[in-house]
Amino acid sequence: MLNSLSHAPAPPGPKIAHPNAGLRRREATIGLLFLSPWILGYILLKVLPILVALWYSLTDFQLLHPDNARFIGLANYVYFVTDPEAWGGLVGSLGYFLTTVPLELLVALGLAALLSSDRLHGKSILRAIIFMPSVIPASAIFFIWLGLVNPSAGWLNRLVILPLGLPPIVASITGIDNVPYLATIMALWSIGPGFLIMYGAMQGVSKELYEAAHLDGAGPLMRFISVTLPIISPAIFFSLVIDLTSAFGGSVLLDRGFLFSESLSPMEGYINSVMFSQYNLGYAAALAWVMFAATMTITFILFRSARSWVYFPEEDSHEAF
Amino acid sequence: MKLFKRNAREKKLGESALTLRLWEFTGSAILSLVVFILLAAYLLPLSYMFVTSVKGPAQMANQASYPLYPSVNPQYNYQGVDYPLMKVPTADGVKEWAIVTKRRTYSEFIDPHNPGAGLIHWDGNWYKLEKVYRFSVTLQAFGDLLKAARISQAMTNTLIVALISEIGVLLSSIAVAYGFSRFRIPGGKWLFFVLISTILIPETITLIPTYIAFKKLILWLPTLPFLQFPFSVPWPWLPLILPHFFSSAIFVFLLRQNFRSIPRDLDEAAMLDGAGPLRILTLVILPQSIPVVTTVALLHFFYIWNELRHASLYVGLTPGQQQVSSILQNAPVLPGVSTDAVLQASALLVMIVPIVVLFAFQRFFMQDMIVTGLEK
Repeated sequence: MLNSLSHAPAPPGPKIAHPNAGLRRREATIGLLFLSPWILGYILLKVLPILVALWYSLTDFQLLHPDNARFIGLANYVYFVTDPEAWGGLVGSLGYFLTTVPLELLVALGLAALLSSDRLHGKSILRAIIFMPSVIPASAIFFIWLGLVNPSAGWLNRLVILPLGLPPIVASITGIDNVPYLATIMALWSIGPGFLIMYGAMQGVSKELYEAAHLDGAGPLMRFISVTLPIISPAIFFSLVIDLTSAFGGSVLLDRGFLFSESLSPMEGYINSVMFSQYNLGYAAALAWVMFAATMTITFILFRSARSWVYFPEEDSHEAF
Repeated sequence: MKLFKRNAREKKLGESALTLRLWEFTGSAILSLVVFILLAAYLLPLSYMFVTSVKGPAQMANQASYPLYPSVNPQYNYQGVDYPLMKVPTADGVKEWAIVTKRRTYSEFIDPHNPGAGLIHWDGNWYKLEKVYRFSVTLQAFGDLLKAARISQAMTNTLIVALISEIGVLLSSIAVAYGFSRFRIPGGKWLFFVLISTILIPETITLIPTYIAFKKLILWLPTLPFLQFPFSVPWPWLPLILPHFFSSAIFVFLLRQNFRSIPRDLDEAAMLDGAGPLRILTLVILPQSIPVVTTVALLHFFYIWNELRHASLYVGLTPGQQQVSSILQNAPVLPGVSTDAVLQASALLVMIVPIVVLFAFQRFFMQDMIVTGLEK
């Protein structure tokens, strides 16, 4: 998906000249043998469950009475259209994707740019500190921040807000929802993987390009916009796609969704409640399918738009898409 | 501490030395400020957790009146009774005396340094006096926590799950990445596209059918006579472990990027020596991919340590089978977890393992992500 910038990997053209088709077939067979764990897992854990979920979504399957499931056609989907909670979840997830995800991208980009600055000393320790919150379980992060924003005892009031003369937090905090933006703050706090993707990409930008831009009289900001951004655009795209998945319920590299699903991924939170509080698996499956379709649509749009703003240095890059 | 080095290139600009220095100074100042805010943002929450976890119950009961650091209000034992120390303003300056008698208009104190002098009469309202606080650290919260929750057992459980699934995810992902990077397979590019697209499939869509299937498997498999293992890994861990044996799309992607950057001449040389595909993988490819394999292994370990979705779904709080993440999620409702100090202690205990792992491999891990990023 993201491709090499400076050194081209070996071209996918002819590798070892095979004199006859038999050897070629042998190569393909061995290759497929190596791929078999994934192919098997893809069929058993992805394709089959997605299809089974489609079947469930057409029934009134209940977790407690699995044998009484009847085929009810599109009734679940019809019910979805008039279910305000489901629409709320869908809009909420979309809203998260449109607000928090760009913020996450910006912060990751900013941190990566800061740590790429050659004026800075002690980078490796700073890098480790930035990555540190990303290896902590989500519940731990939740407890830490809940304590931190506690109106009477928390440090946020006593160390930051009051000394700065800002209005203190007064609400009695019982849950995460009482603190606006806490979910976003926590998401930004554990930004490690996104940061590393951007940082890694920035390290790959060749120094010559910067020198050339510098000679042309481009200032630091101009160099960042016209050199860095286009070259690391594949990394930005990659982060965007990963964040999209987590906004709609999934975990790539980092499991953050489940605990905060109400606030980080409202649609997933609603599906979970239909599934495990109402035990209505048929309807939950229908909702999951609606969400799946929505995610796939957005992904398709993103990939379409990628052609115009993501920079692919080699023709080889099409392979990934 | 010297934080910034001068950028020699900046001097090439045709500006006067003074403007340049001023400009550089402003830049450095802004940079320091940004780094300071950044450090505060990342370290403040962690320090809060650390500091709170070593506070005692007295301070936790009345946090607002205590200082921010872990502290106690020292008591002085006078004739068998404990009396709290107060800061008492006297003609000779502020004294730290223990308050014995509290009245509206006067109080009686005892001087811990000179108890023989007996009770000291002091006129004034004791209510306006400040208590004495001394820095004091206690591990009581950790003791309470270990009594309430079997954290060490949960950690062992998670380590077992992490270890078994680590073997699975490494073996399968390396094999698949090798297959994608070195073999000409009809439709291979298309297959790789499908692989990448699996990253984008939200887990919710596959959750319901896999949940039902695994629940049935967990009940059915133990009844099979040939599946009676001499060692006992609880069957409900199956859904936490088994899926990782089918490789992980994102790890395959990372590994393949790295494998492709290894020159093919090396495989060809090995092939001429009569090495088969497996030997090429183990003797040529893997020795050159140790950094990326380590990174993948670490990422997987962090993932398992944090994984809550399946851990709470299939295991939850089942005694003897709990995973760290679901214990931690339920920590606030466990009996004995009464104060925030215990909660912060649980967070601290659970995060020690991944943080030690992160810092142990810090240079390696980060270094490798850079190489991987370069590959992108």
